[in-house]
Amino acid sequence: MRALERLALRLLAATDAAANRLYGARWNPLYQSGTIVVALYLTIVVTGLWLLLFYRVAAPWESVAGVTANLWIGNWVRGLHRYSSDAAVLATIVHAFRMFAQGRSWGARMLAWVSGALLLALLFVCGWTGYVMVWDTFGEHLAREGARMLDVLPVLSEPISRQFTGERPMPSVFFFVNLFAHIGIPLGMGVVFWLHIKRLERPVLLPPRGLMWAALASLSIVAVARPLAMAPQANAFVVPGVIPSDLFFAFWIPIVRRLNAGTALSVMTGLAIALLVVPALTARRGVKRPAPSTVDQEICTGCLQCSLDCPYGAIQMIKRTDNRPTLVASVDPSLCVSCGICAGSCAPMGVGPPGRTGRDQIAQVHAFLAEPRRRAGQIVAICCEHGAGAYRSAIADHGAALYTVDCAGNLHTTVIELLLRAGAGGVLVLACQARDCRSREGPRWLVERLYDGREAELQARVDRRRVQVVHVAAGERQLAISAQRAFANGIPTLPRVATEPSGDLHSACEPVTTGGQS
Amino acid sequence: MTAWLRGIGLVVAVAGAVAITQASVLPMKLNPSDAAILRLAWMARPERVEDCRTQTEEQMANLPAHMRQSVICDGTTAAYRLEVQYQHQVIAEQIVRGGGLRHDRPLYVSRAIELPAGDAVIAVKFVRIDSQKPNPVSEHERSDGAGGEALEAGRQAAAMDADRRRREGEERLHSREEAVPAVLVLERGLRLASRQVTLVTYDSQRRELVVVDGAPR
Repeated sequence: MRALERLALRLLAATDAAANRLYGARWNPLYQSGTIVVALYLTIVVTGLWLLLFYRVAAPWESVAGVTANLWIGNWVRGLHRYSSDAAVLATIVHAFRMFAQGRSWGARMLAWVSGALLLALLFVCGWTGYVMVWDTFGEHLAREGARMLDVLPVLSEPISRQFTGERPMPSVFFFVNLFAHIGIPLGMGVVFWLHIKRLERPVLLPPRGLMWAALASLSIVAVARPLAMAPQANAFVVPGVIPSDLFFAFWIPIVRRLNAGTALSVMTGLAIALLVVPALTARRGVKRPAPSTVDQEICTGCLQCSLDCPYGAIQMIKRTDNRPTLVASVDPSLCVSCGICAGSCAPMGVGPPGRTGRDQIAQVHAFLAEPRRRAGQIVAICCEHGAGAYRSAIADHGAALYTVDCAGNLHTTVIELLLRAGAGGVLVLACQARDCRSREGPRWLVERLYDGREAELQARVDRRRVQVVHVAAGERQLAISAQRAFANGIPTLPRVATEPSGDLHSACEPVTTGGQS
Repeated sequence: MTAWLRGIGLVVAVAGAVAITQASVLPMKLNPSDAAILRLAWMARPERVEDCRTQTEEQMANLPAHMRQSVICDGTTAAYRLEVQYQHQVIAEQIVRGGGLRHDRPLYVSRAIELPAGDAVIAVKFVRIDSQKPNPVSEHERSDGAGGEALEAGRQAAAMDADRRRREGEERLHSREEAVPAVLVLERGLRLASRQVTLVTYDSQRRELVVVDGAPR
């Protein structure tokens, strides 16, 4: 499974880089796959409500044919409804693939994965009921295949397939129940979606406005340019040779229709189970879940910043048990994904995952500075191991001293100051693209801490000209190296600064250890 | 981003949208052959294979009033053999039992057989295969009509309402008469049209197999 993940990650890195070149990181649809699904869902709901006005359970095909015949509005709305549903399936699969490739499917993220898989299943069922509503040859075939598999289960006293044999006319109640499911399932999806994003703080629900309108406009244009045609009405006494089908919702039919009903049901159930057990398969062997952050209550000043920055709402401020008048941070281990954002947000360095707190980072910098290989004035490239870490050797080959971090959002600003004071010509932080951060908000908080005075800010005494943040993805090697070259070329033009001995550095940057405010 | 890249981005986006519409209306080949379909589909109530015993007045007195039945029948439903012949050759055979885990629900036949288009002699046989032992209670019911006055149980349960005993007898008789006949045979020359379905079903009013070759949706 790890090999599969690595392969998927390589593919993802390449496609991300290509999409970044074509659309820019902000409009990269691959980064926005999840939010695009939400935008499409809303489109489907709105167009579906409009279509519902004209639907009649007593004459399903005729009523849909009436809507479709209206080329200006009816056909366009129906086309938009259909193509949005197709695009939603595609975007959901891209989103799931992304999460799988980036290893974001297990541990504390298991709920999001399982609820996402459930959302995909509901999307499929909703699509199938939508096609059955039309009751054309395709809808009838979907209904037949579904009924054939469900009839294997010994739960219904009367086989569903019996509805479609032609013994009697299709009862209106069948279409009523189907319509009820088609409307009810999206409501259920809303509840599951709430579960899906429940653990996120500040969830981003919609893509950037421009991207959203561009996606909807393109689907609208194709809906007009390629008007939908009605397939022949379902007829139990005619065997169609070819039917129009929707690959997104009926890709499974050519496979399972060759199998007997029991095997077909087993295959479909097996696929669903395989999707649900991905968290168990991708969990790192021997690691139950990444160690959650801890709080050193002696150091915590109760400033609230870590609880504000935590992307998963895992940190609460609670009453202290000692006599100090402030609150103290408390991490809920069941919510913490060990992203380490809190380590970068805590000025006095009192919170963070084991081995990644601000204090641990300072110890690591000291070890880094003690390495004899570095040259005076050499720039230091701080790489996020999930992004620029993929080509760290290339960065080192181009003259930078390499300093790798788990996430740029973990980075305590003191690290940058220490590096500069120790004689680094400049510090280039190669952070991930804002929408592609494993820790969700790392690049955003980093930039605000460096340039906008967000708490745990880079001190004013640090020359900002010697610090630069560049957002690069794992597949953007050339971009990173170009940025590195440009940054390195600008450094010699800056006035020289005196290097401070490491002993002074340590005391200058030593965090407060008792209860003063940060 | 250069204009050149922007142009490629636009082309890729348009191609993506067109690909979605193409995949959305992709034709699917379902039945490459021009064969005709013989569909066998019906629901019927299988005959009960049961042992009936009459309850004594004492036994009934031990039961709550609403559960006092003069005759208790235990058993299961009969199984049937479905056989389909095409041009006097057996092409399909199947044992059909009542639905449900206890097989006490109606039986359902649902089968589709591909056959060459053209004229054909089709025979469908549906024959009960469980042996049914004569039931003394039912013999009484048949000889007495629906009345049930002659039943031994009725005499023993003198306190029981006569109207209720009559209804019980009627119900048993009715359910027996509702059951599919022990032997159903349909043998007919049919013109099977290419890509058309010929349906063989059971007409519960006429209590025989019938052929339907179109009409209801």
